[in-house]
Amino acid sequence: MAAPPNASSAGQSDRILTMARAGREAVISEMRKDPKVFVIGEDVGKIGGIFGTAVGVQEEFGASRAIDTPISETGFIGIACGAAMAGMRPLVELAYVDFFGVCFNQIYNFAAKTHYMSGGQYTMPLTMMIGVGGGYNNAAQHSQTVYGTFAHMPGIKIVVPSNAYDAKGLMHSCIQDDNLTLWMVHKATCGLGWLGAPLKTAMAAVPETDYSIPFGEARVWREGTDVTLVGLGLTVHHCLQAADLLEASGISAEVIDLRSLVPLDRETIFASVSKTGRLVVVDEDYLSFGVTGEIIASISERDPRVWKAPPRRVAYPDVPVPFSRPLEDFCMPDAQKVVAAVKSIMAPQ
Amino acid sequence: MTDIRIPNDLWDDDREGVIVSWIYKDGAVVESGKVVVELMVEKAQMELSAPASGRLTILAAADAIVNRGQVIGRIE
Repeated sequence: MAAPPNASSAGQSDRILTMARAGREAVISEMRKDPKVFVIGEDVGKIGGIFGTAVGVQEEFGASRAIDTPISETGFIGIACGAAMAGMRPLVELAYVDFFGVCFNQIYNFAAKTHYMSGGQYTMPLTMMIGVGGGYNNAAQHSQTVYGTFAHMPGIKIVVPSNAYDAKGLMHSCIQDDNLTLWMVHKATCGLGWLGAPLKTAMAAVPETDYSIPFGEARVWREGTDVTLVGLGLTVHHCLQAADLLEASGISAEVIDLRSLVPLDRETIFASVSKTGRLVVVDEDYLSFGVTGEIIASISERDPRVWKAPPRRVAYPDVPVPFSRPLEDFCMPDAQKVVAAVKSIMAPQ
Repeated sequence: MTDIRIPNDLWDDDREGVIVSWIYKDGAVVESGKVVVELMVEKAQMELSAPASGRLTILAAADAIVNRGQVIGRIE
């Protein structure tokens, strides 16, 4: 499968964008095409969103389509649900995913279920723009990913782009969908200066024209024969780095980027593990009851004979995210942890 | 030849800024008015557009520390 045009393969005159800028391009384009699309949430207006996804939107479309709200997630997500039921296409900024706790009833009881419970009489074309992840000393209430928590709830589509090309294409798909969709971007990939220098591998050549990326299609970034590495968002970059390190040790790793968590492309994962017989799932969400276990279970349920070795999980330990840098580094998945997990299931070289 | 210069009034004190990213590669042909570079002061992110159409030369690469008034690139 072809890789997207990344920063290193970009042509001389291609634009190489950060994920924040690429996502914003899709938002602005959809707003130009459809007056029903609007943005609502904390700091989306004057500031343009804490993670930069709505910069310039209020200047172009005015305060009625880029609505700054008080710090009241239940209130503005409720407003967006009602607007969506009345035919609008709201984009809600939740900022940090950790804030879902105050408004989860609106998300999973109303936004996720209304299309179903109304027998299709009401659609819920509501997209939430959400920043996830840690690694920058922001402690336990601003560093989680918890996408597994949302993925557990029926009625929510979830995308976790790893690069700018996918960020734009998946944002178009989210806004165009008639159900609740979450566009979840890891802060370390979004390319905002205040979160450190943009991750080069997350920047990509992005066409100026609109394009959609379908939900549920994982991408094979790199083909390999010995082990399958599955990641999403930031952990895709850990996997790619680990694959380089493993190659130096003579181990051939295949790297799969899930791109969307719900729906999950179990076919692509299964096809890869059928070939390699080994799997390491790399996830920044908590280890237990989450994404990693789901992926492994879906392979075993289908055909346990594919395993040449026990699957491994590199995920966040079941503890609140520490503030301390050494403790946080100890907990965060990274390429070295992926390499160690792979070597633990390979026969001695 | 046209300089890409950080305007003196882009921010209002003597703090240093940093180049976050260039939208185009060195040597790319860019169009007047298109955003070419993102930069940041403290936590505030800003952008500059190409002052002319032509071939871009990058003088201050990503991560470089920059000051108001500095020429960070050229278009010829």
